[in-house]
Amino acid sequence: MNYWVQRLTASIMLLLAVSMLTFGAMNLLGDPLFNILGPAAADTKPESLEKVAAAKELYHLDRPLPERYVRWLGDMVTGDFGVQFSSTGQPPVSDLVVERFPRSLTLLVMAQLLASMIAIPWALITAARANRPADRISTINSFLLIAMPNFALAVILKYIFGIKLGWFPLTFKATDPWLTRIYQTFLPALTIALPAAAVYQRLLRTDLITTLQEDFILMARSKGVSRRRVLLRHALRPSLFSFITVFGINTGALIGGSLIVESIFRIPGLGSAIVEAILREDFPVVLAIVMIITTAFVIVNVVVDIVYTLIDPRVRR
Amino acid sequence: MSDTITKRLGPLFWLAVGWLAIVSLLALFAPWLPIKDPDSYFLVRGERPPYSPSGTHWFGTDQDARDMFARIIYGARVSLVIGFVAIAFGMVVGGTAGIVAGYLRGRTDKVVSFIFIVFLSFPSLVLAILITALLDRGLVTIALTLGVLAVAPVGRLARATTLAYADREFVTAARAIGAGDRRIIVRELLPNVVIPMGALALLGMAVAIVAEGGLAFLGLSVEKGPTWGKLILIGAGSRELEKSPWIAFGPIIVLFLTVLALNYAGDRIRSYYDVREIGL
Amino acid sequence: MSGLQTDGRVEQGRLLTVENLSTTFATERGPVRAVDQVSLSLDRGQALGIVGESGSGKTVLSRSIMGLLPSTARREGSIRFGDHELLGSGAVDMSKLWGREMSMVFQNPMVSLNPVMRIGEQIAEPLRIHLGMSRRDARATTVRLLRDVRIPEPERRVDQYPHELSGGMRQRVMIAITLACGPTLLFADEPTTALDVTVQAQILDLIAEQREERNMSVVLVTHDLGVVAGHTDVIAVMYGGRLVEVAPTAVLFADMRMPYTEALLQSIPRLDQPSHTRLTAIPGRPPDLLDPPRGCAFAPRCAFARDRCREEAPTLTPADNPEHRFACWYPVGSAEYLETRERIASGLTIGGRS
Ligand SMILES: Nc1ncnc2c1ncn2[C@@H]1O[C@H](COP(=O)(O)OP(=O)(O)O)[C@@H](O)[C@H]1O
Ligand code: SF4
Ligand SMILES: [Mg+2]
Repeated sequence: MNYWVQRLTASIMLLLAVSMLTFGAMNLLGDPLFNILGPAAADTKPESLEKVAAAKELYHLDRPLPERYVRWLGDMVTGDFGVQFSSTGQPPVSDLVVERFPRSLTLLVMAQLLASMIAIPWALITAARANRPADRISTINSFLLIAMPNFALAVILKYIFGIKLGWFPLTFKATDPWLTRIYQTFLPALTIALPAAAVYQRLLRTDLITTLQEDFILMARSKGVSRRRVLLRHALRPSLFSFITVFGINTGALIGGSLIVESIFRIPGLGSAIVEAILREDFPVVLAIVMIITTAFVIVNVVVDIVYTLIDPRVRR
Repeated sequence: MSDTITKRLGPLFWLAVGWLAIVSLLALFAPWLPIKDPDSYFLVRGERPPYSPSGTHWFGTDQDARDMFARIIYGARVSLVIGFVAIAFGMVVGGTAGIVAGYLRGRTDKVVSFIFIVFLSFPSLVLAILITALLDRGLVTIALTLGVLAVAPVGRLARATTLAYADREFVTAARAIGAGDRRIIVRELLPNVVIPMGALALLGMAVAIVAEGGLAFLGLSVEKGPTWGKLILIGAGSRELEKSPWIAFGPIIVLFLTVLALNYAGDRIRSYYDVREIGL
Repeated sequence: MSGLQTDGRVEQGRLLTVENLSTTFATERGPVRAVDQVSLSLDRGQALGIVGESGSGKTVLSRSIMGLLPSTARREGSIRFGDHELLGSGAVDMSKLWGREMSMVFQNPMVSLNPVMRIGEQIAEPLRIHLGMSRRDARATTVRLLRDVRIPEPERRVDQYPHELSGGMRQRVMIAITLACGPTLLFADEPTTALDVTVQAQILDLIAEQREERNMSVVLVTHDLGVVAGHTDVIAVMYGGRLVEVAPTAVLFADMRMPYTEALLQSIPRLDQPSHTRLTAIPGRPPDLLDPPRGCAFAPRCAFARDRCREEAPTLTPADNPEHRFACWYPVGSAEYLETRERIASGLTIGGRS
């Protein structure tokens, strides 16, 4: 119990630190007024001054930074992300988030699922044949995949499967039916999944090889359990720890990678939203997306912790 | 001694080092080498660019008839500088912070470690986008931005290694004969932390080079001149890939080989000195 | 229990016949012959003790019979189990026999149970695999097995994990697993070595009791001659991968002929000593299996060794009692043996054992 309280406190501290950092950076380094009003922000004409005053009022820009931070934080905690900076009306940030978030989430979940679906059988097969030719070749392969930059892999996959073979569409239409969009997301998801799968496979293979030397594996064999079942039922589960840890940590890196992959495959998700927002210096949008990403990251790591306790009865707290 | 190193690091290691040396030398001396001007338009009368690879243009040309080979080499100048400056910054700042935290422990360690965690729990690309978008997009800004991102991973390794060494006999012995903290850190700890850090530096340089490419794909890389990322980007559109795949694949191959060489060399050094694996 | 019977199962008489069994490991430094020309046999319901110092090849021998060896091992000779030949071409598929006809209790219960699997599942696994029991039947049988091995509150224990049990309890669980399908042959490889002195006797008694109840044959492997004394019918003493003396238990203790067996007996500790100190009692080290000595493997450590011992290896030959075999040129009681004894007693031999 104590452990989870500690865990929660650390997570909240982390989120606070990230929010302060982002909020501070956005407000100190940019000039929001200019982006709302354009050149009028620097004007001294009376009607411009009026506009400036109105905008300041609307976005609370005339208040001191700490106050703005607290106000923003309070709103955000209650689910109000504020309004987008814009000279044409003030669409709520949450509209944009609701539209874009599911696409990015689908991409990331699909990528992690694919990565695990590739990595686990791959690791099982190579661990069962450790140091034999098939395993050696696989080691080289995973090394190459890990070194491959995601944008390069994206281009290669796009070229092979999208252009040469034509198996996958290269467009993403938000109006297409749900299943079609999943299909359109496959190639980008694979781009993210392949190097991740290589990382997972390497870890899992090593841990499996260690587990397979344990006495309880020999004991299982001596009960008449088949090799296949020994691998799946006895060796896999106790070998999953490093894999799951890295699965959690890696999520942060994959989110970064997915921004690029979204842009290459033209998926209008949070990735393109944050890039556009940064270029427009649309602070509320940037802040909202950064907080969503960081929160997702924190949640994934807590989930990893819970999964841990499910897998290993010895760490039940 | 050097003989055993050659043997145990293996021929592939030296192949990787060789590749890195060639790329670096080409980049360094590009203006004085007999290669084409990267910004000239080599238009051929009656033929529309891009031109495919040939005797005159080894790697073909881009849509504006500029020589890809020359552009890749000039791109290397930017990409390698970014990689080098970034990791050097990360080493100096992160390394110092990590060693000091690991040596002093206590509250300093707590604070520094928390800062590392904050940075590590932030998808680093988002941070890079933030900084580059808010500041300018000059070479130095981008390199230093990526350097800031290297601080936490490097610092964490430096801290862990220092912790592992801080209790060893030679450190306690130095303290016993009255050596000051500064002296112990510089004379006793630093030499032991340098090797694992060196291996990490090679991997980190690869990460920084790749990160530049990522920024380029978001339209946030260095504004002036070619970089590997930008070169790949202009060839990556569906039309370009279909009609003139060499525009993207030339720089992809060079970038990939370089990243691979850095990874492999770093990996070999790390396992040669049996350094614990720490994710970047 | 009639549902558990396999066709052609041996109900009485000869169950296991091992002939000239040798096991060689391919290692980086060369072949290691860990079991050398071993022949022995076992009847249904009998208990055989395999005794020897650590490293003498007891574990490799029992795993060779069972076929549980790493891929670097090669076996030669013959192993007949009931009507089946287990070695060579046309050998039966061992995983069909494992857990069903023969099973093994491992030395260290702390590491031999799967830490992330409930105890009930681990016991039920062979029941479901071999006997095709339903989940419910397997659970009922599991509870009964736990009761058989004297684990209190079996209904609660089935859902626990190994780390929730003490070492002795875990060894009982392991025994329950091995008994699950009612095997005819049980190997117990140092089943008590890793346990507290206080529970050692309980575990041995449990195995003996279950053997009686199920008319099961048992191979009890141990480095402690004291352990086998009360729990076996026949004892085989092993040294350097070979059998050096085989005899019915009573005969062996009444009339042991190998100086090595005698040394082993003298090395049984007093009760107040911790069990791990006992082996230091024989000075010197077991032979190097990569480069075994030409003559009797025990010669470098034997107080009774003479030139012949170092030149020529003695073979296992019957004594007056044909059930008693031993391999020694100058056995206990022989004229040369007595002469050496006398010299030791009068202090003439320097460096001999006293
Ligand atoms: N997998 C193996 N590879 C090579 N040698 C082995 C292997 N397993 C056992 N041995 C050797 O076989 C000999 C007998 O070992 P073991 O049967 O474990 O002895 P005991 O059980 O009597 O203590 C030892 O010398 C050991 O080094
Ligand atoms: S043969 Fe010789 S060396 Fe071997 S045990 Fe007998 S007396 Fe000792
Ligand atoms: Mg043993």
